Amino acid sequence: MEHNAYIPRLAKIIQIKEEVSGARPIKTFRTQFLNKNDFAFHCGQCTMLSVFGKGESMISISSPPLIKDYLQFSILKMGRVTSALHEMEVGDKIGIRGPYGNGFPIEDWKGKNLIFIGGGIGLAPIWSVLQTALGKKQEYGELKLIYGARTSKDLVFKEELKELKKKMIVHLSIDVEEPEWEEFIGFVPQNVTDKKPSPKNAITITCGPPIMIKFVIQALKDLEFEDAQIYTTVENKMKCGIGKCGRCNIGMHYVCKDGPVYSWAELKKLPQEY
Amino acid sequence: MKKILRKKSFLQWVKRLESYKIYAPMKDDDFWNFALINNPKDLNLNHSNTVLSPKKIIFPQREVILEFSTSNDSELEVKEILPEEKASIIFGVRPCDARAIPLMDKVFGGDFTDPYYWKRRDKTILVGLSCNTPPSSNCFCLSVEGSPHSKEGLDILMTDLGDKYYVESLTKKGDQLINLAKNLFEEPNAKDNKDLENIHKDSEKKIKRQIQDIKNIPAKLKEMFESPFWDEESLSCLRCGICTYLCPTCHCFDINDEIISSSPLKGKRVRTWDNCQFPDFTMHSSGHNPRSDRASRLRQRILHKFQYFIEQYQNYQCTGCGRCISKCPVGIDIIEVLNKVENYGT
Repeated sequence: MEHNAYIPRLAKIIQIKEEVSGARPIKTFRTQFLNKNDFAFHCGQCTMLSVFGKGESMISISSPPLIKDYLQFSILKMGRVTSALHEMEVGDKIGIRGPYGNGFPIEDWKGKNLIFIGGGIGLAPIWSVLQTALGKKQEYGELKLIYGARTSKDLVFKEELKELKKKMIVHLSIDVEEPEWEEFIGFVPQNVTDKKPSPKNAITITCGPPIMIKFVIQALKDLEFEDAQIYTTVENKMKCGIGKCGRCNIGMHYVCKDGPVYSWAELKKLPQEY
Repeated sequence: MKKILRKKSFLQWVKRLESYKIYAPMKDDDFWNFALINNPKDLNLNHSNTVLSPKKIIFPQREVILEFSTSNDSELEVKEILPEEKASIIFGVRPCDARAIPLMDKVFGGDFTDPYYWKRRDKTILVGLSCNTPPSSNCFCLSVEGSPHSKEGLDILMTDLGDKYYVESLTKKGDQLINLAKNLFEEPNAKDNKDLENIHKDSEKKIKRQIQDIKNIPAKLKEMFESPFWDEESLSCLRCGICTYLCPTCHCFDINDEIISSSPLKGKRVRTWDNCQFPDFTMHSSGHNPRSDRASRLRQRILHKFQYFIEQYQNYQCTGCGRCISKCPVGIDIIEVLNKVENYGT
């Protein structure tokens, strides 16, 4: 009998890092499977995380596939399961099933300039593909990150971003002015317009709140990016993760299986219901 | 294999099938519903259509998929709970309900096979009964590529010829059931064959309701995604969800954890039918909802059945049983909706 897709594998939380505190807290969790680790995934894929007694939640993997000894998830406290995860401690056990979804087609992007555009927790799914490209820097063109959050405190991976600046171009932004903030002030789409990335031989990867994605796409179109150069991820409520429970669909597509990664060329052809 | 079974021999046949679990329509107060038959004498094939289709036997409304617990030394344990595997026969399946099963096979098969579904499905034998008269005034199977004597999805189709049944076995599983009581069956003669043909033809004429021209519907629906039509049609919807709960083809489900004890932790993960007509079906934990109004939810139900399913699996996800029409408390009628779609804007 084939493996039962609904049964999660047990994993232990080995590290918890508080990224953002306050009303919209974000924590980054590193987990290790209790048993033999043959878990393989592509950048941009998701997993269904279980907190037993609370339920399951679909979360993107923020560590790159080349890291084999742990899986990393950055999680905004929002619903029942993510709130329970925020209460957990190192050593606690969760369930993981997956990976699910299509992932980013990074093999097709070799030789191209990659522009990552993220807002808030949207840096988490980008982080996996960004780190993967950075690890094989010679195979890609210029790498650039445009990332913003509401306030400087709401930025995730604060320390990692400092390190990242030594390796690639990073443009940060916050929505409203703060003393000592030296970078862009305004929304992420405005920062995109301000930095004017060139569409020449480029691919953009954008993740963030739906409203941000909408305006980022508009900003990129104004900069004459083609639809097929713009990639984004869609999130929807999910239960099964395998295209059966019926709720994450956009038209005939199930985001859990056929997404979450879409080029704008693909996504704009689907019913605009997400 | 084509056979004749005298009605007086029917009970004997059922008795020979004692190694199987047998389900059949049973009358409970005023309603017919599929139930487990403990005594073959209770088996009665004079039913109108059942309130719920036999879908619930293969894909139950609620099922446990796993159990979890922590032992005293706080070791977490997760146990897969698969359904028991005893073979079942479902008698009296209406052809529309039978046609719904291969549609569900597509959903629960594919890239990820669903073990809970297939454990039951593989062990279930479907014995259908032709509808000599439509069991509901809202039957419209002919409009969705079905018929009152469709064999699709069945292992055996029985047709009532008065004092006998014409029994057509359609699969090896069907042959098996007949072979368990070979001596009870006779060969059909020329008159039986003629009677069968006439009854089948007549039964088609008795289906009164129809969708005008279904072939144009999927393309038309695609054009009408943004149309105010959906606001108008959904105005009266109470979002009770009866349309999809009673539908033989609807497969959407929810998965939730139920706690028996919190310390030490003990509980189960349960799959239950869910419903696209409920607002929280698609509501994100942030509060964002891609289908936040009745219009988008009615549109989802209709488009899933008559556009998305066609695009994905090349079938309509509707077999024309008419339950959603008969039971809707505010009279939303899928045939009327589709006929309006057909003529919309022309």
